[in-house]
Amino acid sequence: MRRSRWHGLWLGLTPALFIAGMAVLPMLRLMWFGASEPSPLGTESGGFLSGWLAIWSDSYLRERIVWSLTQAGVSTVLAVLLGVPVAWVMARLEFWGRQWLMQTLMLPFVVPTLVAAMGVLAWWGPRGLVGQFFEWDDRGSAWLLIAGNLFFNLCLIVRAAVAGFESQSAARLAVARTLGATPWRAFWRVELPHATPAILSAMSLVFLYCLGGFGLALLLGGQAYATAEVVIYTLVAHELELVLASQLALWMLLFTGVAVALYAWLQMRVRAPLRGDRVRRYRPNVKSLTTWLMLVGVWMVCLCIGLAPLVAIFTKAALASSVAWSEALSGETAAAIWNTTRFSATALVLATVLGVSHAIVGRRYWWWRMWGMLPLMISPVMVAFGLILLVPQWLDSWLILVCAYALLAMPLVVQPVAQALDSLPRAWGDAALSLGASPWRVWWRVTMPLIAPAIRRGVAFAMATMVGEFAMTLFLSRPEWTTLTTLIYQHLGRAGRLNIDSAWVLSAILLSVTLVLFWLLDGRRWHAVGTPEFDDRSPHA
Amino acid sequence: MRRHFLLTTALVGLLFQPLFAGAADARTTLRVVTHSSFDLPKDLIATFEAEKKVTLRLIKAGDAGEMLNKLILSKETPIADVVFGIDNAMLPRARREGLLQPLPAETAALSLSPNVSDVDPQASAASDWLPIDFGYVTINIDKAWFAENKLALPTSLDQLAEPEYAKLLVVENPATSSTGLAFLTATVQAKGESAWTWWRALRAGGVKVSNSWSDAYYKDFTRNGGSRPMVVSYLTSPAAEVFYSDKPVNVSPTANLNLPGGVYAQIEGLSLLTGGAKDAATRQAAVDFMLFMRSAAVQKALQTTMWMWPASATVAREPVMTFAGKAPTARAVDAAVLDRDARNWVRRFNQEVVR
Repeated sequence: MRRSRWHGLWLGLTPALFIAGMAVLPMLRLMWFGASEPSPLGTESGGFLSGWLAIWSDSYLRERIVWSLTQAGVSTVLAVLLGVPVAWVMARLEFWGRQWLMQTLMLPFVVPTLVAAMGVLAWWGPRGLVGQFFEWDDRGSAWLLIAGNLFFNLCLIVRAAVAGFESQSAARLAVARTLGATPWRAFWRVELPHATPAILSAMSLVFLYCLGGFGLALLLGGQAYATAEVVIYTLVAHELELVLASQLALWMLLFTGVAVALYAWLQMRVRAPLRGDRVRRYRPNVKSLTTWLMLVGVWMVCLCIGLAPLVAIFTKAALASSVAWSEALSGETAAAIWNTTRFSATALVLATVLGVSHAIVGRRYWWWRMWGMLPLMISPVMVAFGLILLVPQWLDSWLILVCAYALLAMPLVVQPVAQALDSLPRAWGDAALSLGASPWRVWWRVTMPLIAPAIRRGVAFAMATMVGEFAMTLFLSRPEWTTLTTLIYQHLGRAGRLNIDSAWVLSAILLSVTLVLFWLLDGRRWHAVGTPEFDDRSPHA
Repeated sequence: MRRHFLLTTALVGLLFQPLFAGAADARTTLRVVTHSSFDLPKDLIATFEAEKKVTLRLIKAGDAGEMLNKLILSKETPIADVVFGIDNAMLPRARREGLLQPLPAETAALSLSPNVSDVDPQASAASDWLPIDFGYVTINIDKAWFAENKLALPTSLDQLAEPEYAKLLVVENPATSSTGLAFLTATVQAKGESAWTWWRALRAGGVKVSNSWSDAYYKDFTRNGGSRPMVVSYLTSPAAEVFYSDKPVNVSPTANLNLPGGVYAQIEGLSLLTGGAKDAATRQAAVDFMLFMRSAAVQKALQTTMWMWPASATVAREPVMTFAGKAPTARAVDAAVLDRDARNWVRRFNQEVVR
């Protein structure tokens, strides 16, 4: 028994050290460099700690922090208000197009940040297909960033809430109804409380994404609505104000840390045992007005928030001139697609191995899980610049780029695998052990097949997000490594109609590549959206 | 299962292949760090590599300001031998950080265009920095918009600050954009302390501040579907509009509005990095690269890849460059003043115009 515990430790140590080396160490190094260099302005002389506290007395920085928290809070609440009703309908009703909607709602989450921002602008922006009918102040709007946040994160709430509603015991609901509860009362007093831990856990995750998100905030927030992450980026990359940046980053780490701690703790509480008596979905009475309203509402939410920005991108690409298309279909694009694919694939192998081994150890300790979420909590710009101080001689090597990709993708593998491990009944493994199987054999023949769908899903998400990872533009790049994202940026850096057209066409290509890769990895199993723990291999299904 | 294993191994091998490729190659490798806008035709680079038996390792490090910051952080262990893209305004800071080595003697004989030495005589005479190209930041206008709205163009900065015009302009934030910093610098150079009154008037009039040139040009400029017919951009952008037009045109849809005090002149150069090019072979490669960057072929090509004007005296302008108009009379700002005050200007801009 003791031996296997040590095995577990070794298994967990590698990913933990990877995160320490790739994320924590660069950040500490950058902070140390900032603290040891005299401040160029000579203003902060009161020491790091007092400066850290003094951030709140700077009205500009205080506003930025408050705005970061506000936009994350508002986005999360809106996502719940829209997502939970949608999830309930999807969990309870069997209606036309339900399967398809569940699938398309997942698409935004795998869309590259740059493409997402362009799509949200093309749809909601001041000159967008729908946005042009609103009275936008063209100097920027708070709602643009919130619309972007919703586009990305609504699916997380829906997915978690559907799982929560579906795991509801049918018997308990039936008892409530038999005792005279109206459907509405049964929802409030039985169904919602049952799904609440799942929803809360998804909420903390969404809050974390909105608070720590860098790319979307930079692309959609603009100057007037810059979040703290964007300010950190400006301070580090453009002003080299490392002390101030570190102090601000520490505050943000504190806030994201609370969100992550809440998430990790809730995740361990959600690990509900699987139930055999799930509530069956029923075909709604199409003649009732309420049903109609519900179904139309669900369709509207899914289409307007989830799908429309994607359609807008394809529309823009389709409207691009034929010259732009023929240019975009050149060898340069092919090379960029190949680079995108090979970087992501290599990083994926690394992220999967590290992510799965981290999740196995994270099963036992919530703080260990938090460590695995660290890549989501820290500013990518601090990692990129910290690495310059830490390993300048390796910076132009391929390895560091792949490691950076893997770092940012790891949490996406960890989350579903950890969830799947949580809901594994321990008794099954114990039974196999007592029947004489070695721990390794138990892992290979019992645990592995049961968590395989979760691994596949995590890998698909990690792959899809890596393909267009915006933060990678902060790292050094070589012309022969040009990815689709950098190619789009090259076009957006030059004047001329052909360049903007090419950017749209390349965005559509990037989107298609992402979707194809996602489909290849997670393909026909998109229907497992509602049941994140098990899919068709589940003994209860 | 075994077949899968073999297939995976082969694939992984293919993916890692670039890690090991080039190990058997005995050619000298020259590491060149550049800003992200660096762009030259591939065949030019390939010919250079073949002729001089050099492998160019190009490293892009973000925009020019970001690149300089990265070089400062890594000065103990330089990430490259040669740096391209430090401009005349950034030069004092690069020197103060001890980033630059004296130029090799072989570059002394190169002839410099008088236009360059006119723009910044002090920087042009530098012994640690070789001018490669130069250009201007100015205001671009959407010709169609002004024709349609029958509005006369402003003729001075003061007129530009009137509400009628201020609400038509988008500028970039100097904290995050080099064009933004350039325009701010030009106005402070022209107006001194009263520039801040001018900027406050611009703000009250409704000027928009964007994050980056791409944001301003592709989201806010009316030419690309935005709401502002005037944008702070480059002098060569009208030429690029013709070059990258989706159908052949002989008139540019945009034009330059060169207001007195609203044009910024910039020279980009090439330098040896301290601690780089240590051995004789690499040093020779660096010299070759410097001569290559000033060769007629590169000086001609960079006009339509990086959209700058050539620094060599003898190289002809690309025909499409005529759409950029004549060179304005703007002079570079005193680099020492810039080095001392630019940070405060950016800070002040953010206090007075953005917040």
